[in-house]
Amino acid sequence: MGAGGRKARAGAWTFPLITERTLPSVTDMSKPNDLVQGTLDLLILKILAFQPLHGWAISRRLKTISDDVLQVSEGSLYPALHKLEQEGWITAEWKQTENNRRAKFYSLTRLGRRHLERESASWHLLSSAITRVVRLSEA
Amino acid sequence: MRSEHWWYTVPLRLRSIFLRSRVDRELDEEMQFHLDRLIEEAIAEGLSPQEARSAAMRAMDGLEQRKEDARDTRRTGWLTDFLDDVRYASRSLRQTPGLSLFVVATLALGIGMTSAPLSMTDALIFRPYPVPHPGNVVTLTSTSRFSSFELFSYREYLDIRDHTKSYDGVIASGDFVPFGYSVRAGEVARVRGGMLVSGNYFSVLGVRPQLGRGFRADEDQVPGRNPVVVLGPDFWKHELASDPSIVGKTIRLNGVDFAVIGVAPESFPGMQIFVRPDFYVPLAMARRFSTSANKDFFEDRDDRGLIVRGRLKRGVTLQQGRNELAALARDLEREHPQSNRNRGAWVRTQFQMRTRADEANWKFGVIFAVLSLAVLLVACTNAAGLLLARASTRTREVAVRLALGAGRSRLIRMLLTESLLLACLGGLAGVGVGFVALRILHRFSIPTTLPVQIPFRMDARLLLASLVLSLASAIAFGLAPALQSTRGNLVEGLKAADVEPLGRKRLWGRNVLVVAQVSASLMLLTASFLMVRGFHNGLVEGMEFAKVAKDHVLMASFDPRLLQYDAARTQRFYQQLAERAREAPGVQSAGLTQNPPLGLEDFEAMRFVPEGVQMPDDRETFNSAMDTVDEGFFDAMGIPIVRGRAFRRSDGPDAPRAAIVNEHFANHFWPGADPVGRRIHLDRRDGTPVEILGVARTVRYRDTGEKSLDFVYLPLAQRPVSRMTLLLRATAGPLTVLEPLQDIVRTLDPNLPIVDTRTYMTIYRYAAVDGPGVAINLVTIMGATALLLAIAGLYGLVAYNVSRRTREIGIRMAIGASRPDVIRLVLGKGLVLVAVGTVIGLVLGFTLEQLMNSMLFNAGGVDVWVYLVVVPSMFLVTMLAAYVPALRASRIEPTEALRYE
Repeated sequence: MGAGGRKARAGAWTFPLITERTLPSVTDMSKPNDLVQGTLDLLILKILAFQPLHGWAISRRLKTISDDVLQVSEGSLYPALHKLEQEGWITAEWKQTENNRRAKFYSLTRLGRRHLERESASWHLLSSAITRVVRLSEA
Repeated sequence: MRSEHWWYTVPLRLRSIFLRSRVDRELDEEMQFHLDRLIEEAIAEGLSPQEARSAAMRAMDGLEQRKEDARDTRRTGWLTDFLDDVRYASRSLRQTPGLSLFVVATLALGIGMTSAPLSMTDALIFRPYPVPHPGNVVTLTSTSRFSSFELFSYREYLDIRDHTKSYDGVIASGDFVPFGYSVRAGEVARVRGGMLVSGNYFSVLGVRPQLGRGFRADEDQVPGRNPVVVLGPDFWKHELASDPSIVGKTIRLNGVDFAVIGVAPESFPGMQIFVRPDFYVPLAMARRFSTSANKDFFEDRDDRGLIVRGRLKRGVTLQQGRNELAALARDLEREHPQSNRNRGAWVRTQFQMRTRADEANWKFGVIFAVLSLAVLLVACTNAAGLLLARASTRTREVAVRLALGAGRSRLIRMLLTESLLLACLGGLAGVGVGFVALRILHRFSIPTTLPVQIPFRMDARLLLASLVLSLASAIAFGLAPALQSTRGNLVEGLKAADVEPLGRKRLWGRNVLVVAQVSASLMLLTASFLMVRGFHNGLVEGMEFAKVAKDHVLMASFDPRLLQYDAARTQRFYQQLAERAREAPGVQSAGLTQNPPLGLEDFEAMRFVPEGVQMPDDRETFNSAMDTVDEGFFDAMGIPIVRGRAFRRSDGPDAPRAAIVNEHFANHFWPGADPVGRRIHLDRRDGTPVEILGVARTVRYRDTGEKSLDFVYLPLAQRPVSRMTLLLRATAGPLTVLEPLQDIVRTLDPNLPIVDTRTYMTIYRYAAVDGPGVAINLVTIMGATALLLAIAGLYGLVAYNVSRRTREIGIRMAIGASRPDVIRLVLGKGLVLVAVGTVIGLVLGFTLEQLMNSMLFNAGGVDVWVYLVVVPSMFLVTMLAAYVPALRASRIEPTEALRYE
């Protein structure tokens, strides 16, 4: 089966489930997808900045840090991780977990660190600007 | 920063290409790990393992889809998909080996057929000069009323070099001429080829010698002062065994010691297409190599023998160069009215120089290239037809794929990969076919001892062209079937096993293919027949002399300049040579000529004003080709004098100037009157009067296919020429007089080399057999290939139709149709297609005939015989191709056909 099967998205019979490429869904917000897409990258990089982690640990960390506000669907974490890896921002290594199971640990590269700095700077800029705008309308 | 990026990503990309299964396994494992944790968590919360599992799967939000998303991030999908496709395609092609092989063979023929013509076209038109930045090297020509491709004199060259500002240097080079070469004095000189070049030749062209240096500017300033030479790479390699210490040594050229200062690089075989010079010598040494005894190369402004080229400065357009040179030409006309009246100048690119209208070679190349592309087109239509037939048997497979969710574009890509694979295999085999075809071209033997080359070869440019053609044909023959087979109705496709849906549209496409094949091959056959007849006609008229001469005449060329003979001594030498040759045993007659007819070198041109002829308003003189001969020439060559008399000993330097013209000349200027006794004036109205003594039969002078041309013979005694060819007509075979000839030359001057000895047969073969033979062979092979392909295509189509309609035919026969009815039914369709194809092919062939007549043969009119032969035979053969499967259809047993699925 060489072709056809894999990239099954277009065509007559596609399931609604497959067509919706939901990345993170954010509670209490309508769909600011682009914003959140970039944000997920930022969050992952930030989490990995402290220590190398595997995917499962990253998803737990995401949950606890954001107080369940940011609910990243379990599945969509991995495409995001792989994308970051392909960009050269994080690098992966198979290691034993504390429970002696094999898992893929991701860690930040020098490039990733630099990217994180840049991105968090621009995030600060953006969020403070938005905060100001929101306050303005309240006043 | 970028490099660091690649440091991380390149290994990843390579991993995802070459360790794909491992990378995929790791992805599975990674996600499985996550899933397991989720399940554990859910169980810990109190769910049953079953529930926990489905909850985890839900949380993953489509596990497989996420994996796919992760794979997409690798960005190697296009490649891995492609590799998948290639693997799949090779498997599916192996399943139908017969069909695949046939398509590959078809394409191999099609692509291979283009090699030789494309190589010819490339060498004659497109291949750039072998120098850095060849694009801005332009050629400067002098223009007169008769030609805009004339050369410049030395004085004119200096003016152009010093007064133009558009160029980073202007260079000049003389003709490629024979040089007498010897290692030391006293040794008999051998003949090699070389050319005079200006001192800045190598520096302006940007050619750096592989050994030593190029010329210095001061080495080309004072006539005769600096005997220095740069060697050609071939000569250095073969004659001097690549002697690394050659620079600084001396060699003798035309009896003078020349210091070797450098060796041209391997990459620079010279600026001309067909020759590879052995020596480059500064223009200042021209007296040693001067061609005309009565002109002064350095002073005479009308001694025009230099090709002038320039390197356009960056930012200067061709038009600016032209304007500047035209202005300069006007200045020259004002300052030197004697030599430059009505003379302009023009600048052309390499392409414009090579595609000049008065040249025939490149036109052959282009016509061949077009014809060969027509063959390729036939091959592609054939392949397309076969793939279409195959595609319809795959309707179901494609429908299943579509149903499973494959995108149409993805499927088209997959099907195109198949045709790409076929085309690549075909292209590869085609290159092999091309090698063979080029070998045919190399069967030319060019009758000369000079270093000439046949520039047609399989090189990187040609391989690239073959590759491009392969890819183009892959799309040409693959796209239609791919589009068609992915278009169909899914439900229909799934239900119907291997049965073509009804509808005229599909058949229509295939019919077009057959019509295209029939018409293209008819056109090709017409072309090959035209060429055969064109050359054949050329061999009949004006060739009687050559058919006798080829078996009896021995030619030997001499050039006493190689030994520094002066004009008087040269004349004496030729006189004695001819006299003694006539007395030699076995010699029937002997004569001297500057250029034998149909030889390699072109004739000199002369300008004249015929007496008693009204000159047209727009011209002051007429032009004619001419030859310098002695009194024995017409006998020796076998060209009859039809009126008046031939030259005699008495037409010497002190006798009145005399000439003999050909019949065409006589009819041209004095139609219906006797030209004997009339006079022409050389160069201008009041120029030297020359009396016409006789009229010679018109023969072929330059090539066998030429239109009859004006021709004038002048006597050697009145017009001294240094390089002459002795013609010995033997009573028996020409080689019987070789030894007597060598004896005669030895007694006259033991040091004088015979430049070239050959029988007239070699010239005849070159002009009348090999050259046309190669052309005829190529075109005939193309025509035959196209016809073969068309037959196969037609046969395939009708046979396919029959097999598709087996059931229908069975029903027809079951309810009473007779065999002839069935044959008529099946054949009728083929008949219509062949008829339509023939009509279109006739129109194409007719157009082509007009084109070929205007470009090559000057025959005019329509060659009815060609059509009388080609059309019916084409029709018969193609009908046969349709008849065989029709006959088979009529033998179908109704009972079996009804069961046939």
